[in-house]
Amino acid sequence: MPSDLDTLRKWVIGKAKDLPPEGLTDDLPLLAGRHLTSLHVPELILLLERLRGAPIDVEQLRAGDFHSLRVIADRFLDGAR
Amino acid sequence: MTETVARLAPVGLAWRPNGQVVLSGPLLRLARACDEAFTVLADVWRAEPEEHPALLDAEALQAVDFLTSFPHLASFAGCLDAGEENLRDFTAQPLDDSGVRLTRLAPVRDVLTPAACYHVYVHHRGESLTAPMHLTTLNTCFRRETHYLPLRRQWTFRMREIVCLGTRQEVTDFLRGTRELVTALFEELALPISWEAATDPFFQPTRSPKYLAQRLRPTKHEAQYGELAIASVNLHEDSFGDAYEITRAGSPVTTGCVAFGLERWLFALTDRYGADPYAWPDVAAMARRVAGVASEAAAP
Repeated sequence: MPSDLDTLRKWVIGKAKDLPPEGLTDDLPLLAGRHLTSLHVPELILLLERLRGAPIDVEQLRAGDFHSLRVIADRFLDGAR
Repeated sequence: MTETVARLAPVGLAWRPNGQVVLSGPLLRLARACDEAFTVLADVWRAEPEEHPALLDAEALQAVDFLTSFPHLASFAGCLDAGEENLRDFTAQPLDDSGVRLTRLAPVRDVLTPAACYHVYVHHRGESLTAPMHLTTLNTCFRRETHYLPLRRQWTFRMREIVCLGTRQEVTDFLRGTRELVTALFEELALPISWEAATDPFFQPTRSPKYLAQRLRPTKHEAQYGELAIASVNLHEDSFGDAYEITRAGSPVTTGCVAFGLERWLFALTDRYGADPYAWPDVAAMARRVAGVASEAAAP
């Protein structure tokens, strides 16, 4: 059974554009690097809510919360990997 | 009468409670000096001036989702359908206690401009740039709000913008450099300012992908005097380049702007220095000093 992080990684690979030659790494800046755009954010929030089984209060979102796979996992998936 | 109006009426402020001011005398001269200061900063980038009308094509504005993102801010240019019977019906009683009694409207195709820089991107639609483009423009802007405060929150207000269209690197260099210039001007003016990450006032923000993205990766920073934003630095990425097919180096241009709210500067300066015009700083001269230092630093 894939881990939550595997599921998240697979989702990002399916959506991201212009990934570098080394592919999606845990520290790749997703929004700052323009690999994901604003249009992906609501769907990503829904995915994270499903994986963690709890809602995300968007008013509590802070700058950098979706910076990279590693940050997202630490912040929203209890560091699952 | 509000405290601001009571304080500044003798130096040229009159207030219309529907969110508009009339400026005259010393306060108008201070507003012009502020605008001169902003154009001095724009000259550092050799920004070309542009002057645009007050109306903006709604279809062009919606190309960047303005009407779905900010419907509550929009003011529309509405005109009566020109049919004689329709006009005759209107003239029977043009007004009642609730306001103008509109009869049938002609199709509404224009928005009263909500920000000065939108015109720039629409105007340069379809262009392929071979170098970064720096522009500056001033316009009267319109934003419908739930309440108004003189000089601080108005339905109509003046906005000066300095805009850059280019590669991402060119635009981020412009935004960083201009923010440094503006910060230096604040220091000359001894205005206590803090730069804060900010979001635009989206309709139903928690459902807006753009609002969520702004929270997660701030692209807007405001210079705040107390809680009042008097200038902002904005990175639009390639939203406008993509929507209006403006390219640079084969890709949609990145755009960014630095915006100044003229009436808010009047509030900040008169709050800081009082209502006596003889105590007001020479804003334009200070901007020239700041720009001169920047130009010397950039010289080979």
